[in-house]
Amino acid sequence: MRQASIILHLWKATIIQSMEYRASFVFAIIANFFDFIFGLLQYLVFFTAAKSIAGWDSDQMLVLYGVFMLVFALHFILLYPNLVAMGDMVNSGNLDLLLTKPINAQLVVSFKRISLEELGSIGTAALLLGWQFYRGIIVADLGNFLLFGVGIITSLLLIYCMFLLLICLAVLMERLDNMSQLLWSFFSLARYPVEIYPNRIRYVFMSFFPVAFIATIPASALLGRASSVTVWSGFALAIVGVVGCSWLWRCTIKSYTSAGG
Amino acid sequence: MAMFKADGKFAVLIAYFKIILTYRAMMLIHAIRLLLLPLVLASAWLSIEKTASNPYSDSDYLLYYLLVPVIMNLTDSRVVFKFSQAVKDGSLNRELLKPFPPLMSYLLESLANNALQLLYLVPFTLVFWLFVRDRVLLGHLKPSLLLFFVVAIIIGTLARLVVSGSIALLSFWIEDVTTLNLILNGGIWALLGGMIVPVATFPENIRHIAELLPYRYMLSFPIEIFSGRLSNSEIYIGFATATFWIILFAIIMHIIWKSGLKTYTAYGG
Repeated sequence: MRQASIILHLWKATIIQSMEYRASFVFAIIANFFDFIFGLLQYLVFFTAAKSIAGWDSDQMLVLYGVFMLVFALHFILLYPNLVAMGDMVNSGNLDLLLTKPINAQLVVSFKRISLEELGSIGTAALLLGWQFYRGIIVADLGNFLLFGVGIITSLLLIYCMFLLLICLAVLMERLDNMSQLLWSFFSLARYPVEIYPNRIRYVFMSFFPVAFIATIPASALLGRASSVTVWSGFALAIVGVVGCSWLWRCTIKSYTSAGG
Repeated sequence: MAMFKADGKFAVLIAYFKIILTYRAMMLIHAIRLLLLPLVLASAWLSIEKTASNPYSDSDYLLYYLLVPVIMNLTDSRVVFKFSQAVKDGSLNRELLKPFPPLMSYLLESLANNALQLLYLVPFTLVFWLFVRDRVLLGHLKPSLLLFFVVAIIIGTLARLVVSGSIALLSFWIEDVTTLNLILNGGIWALLGGMIVPVATFPENIRHIAELLPYRYMLSFPIEIFSGRLSNSEIYIGFATATFWIILFAIIMHIIWKSGLKTYTAYGG
């Protein structure tokens, strides 16, 4: 409870901070909106030359895009600002200060900041999914929705694993700018359904490097195309991943020698 | 050599090579960015069900996305980010004081950066080509075609440079040009330049628009020449269109630079 209230206070502080620079906040929202629109246009343009991609027609691809954007926006709001902050913290030595505080360092490092710039994207993504629901592409089925919920949680947990790995890397290498670019590059793997990849790569994406669970599996679940075994095994994978990556983080911090070491 | 020493351009180029090499981790990230998306798109295009009017075969798509990272990198220009940063933090002042054309150093840095990326891009492309070589047809390649290809890359680089340069120079008035750049240079470029969809596979009406805009010449055009799908007259028309845009934007850039310098007050001190 104490931890949660500390995080809430930190969030409040970052929101107040970002409101100081209102013009750039508005600019960022506009930029993100265009990002969404261009992403959408990409699929529309894609389907001028293609009828379907690996069995996904254009309507189903729009559902995939909606799910992708939902996950992407959530990562942007919760994790991205912390990833940026981590790079600075290691460089400036502020990490040492944080480690001496009587609070779970992983929690603070992961959720210290929040960025509301992508709230618009969540709204637009939800609108896109709602529209596909209205058109009957997404069928009202409680089982599907439940699997979709599990799928989204799995997806977010896996992104969190990726985040933990990246901040460990930042601590180890001491200097690693543009980690967010790295993360975004991996996101581009999830923009299209995993069925497009050759068999061996698809197997990797379903297991060791679970790109499939970022967007393809939740979208399939929403469309009623995913088996519950796949969804739940992804969930188990994500739990194991988070536990494993947290352990890695603790090891990294143990071996961290700061600038003086 | 004496010529290079006299005005130091060569030395500056070498210096930028060294600066870039110190950021090897950045290069790796850049490499992933350059290579991953084309690979994803190639996989996507190879697994589509084609529309009837789509002229590309699997071989065309493979060749196309094999070349996309190379062309994308060669025509790339980071002047937007570098220049707006220089205006913001005042390091432009130093550039203005040097006995050296101020915009030239941005051009040279861009050149050095793009040339270094070839260190891994060329081997990667060759290795990747070895994997798919029995599926890519290259029998049509002639020396004249390769010459056109090289000229098209140079023209594409210039086109990208003047368009990005014009946006970059707006930093004199606009605090944050990256949003504008995202729209004019990133988004439309990806859509109509041939990143997501090869321009030749667009429906007729969209293709005509894409061929008139400068973006096609920054990415798709050199690859289309390489694939041997363009006739000589089509190539000449392409060159003419791109040259028109280059001259137009060069003039715009010149005007912006002249009036921008007058308003520039160097808040870096």
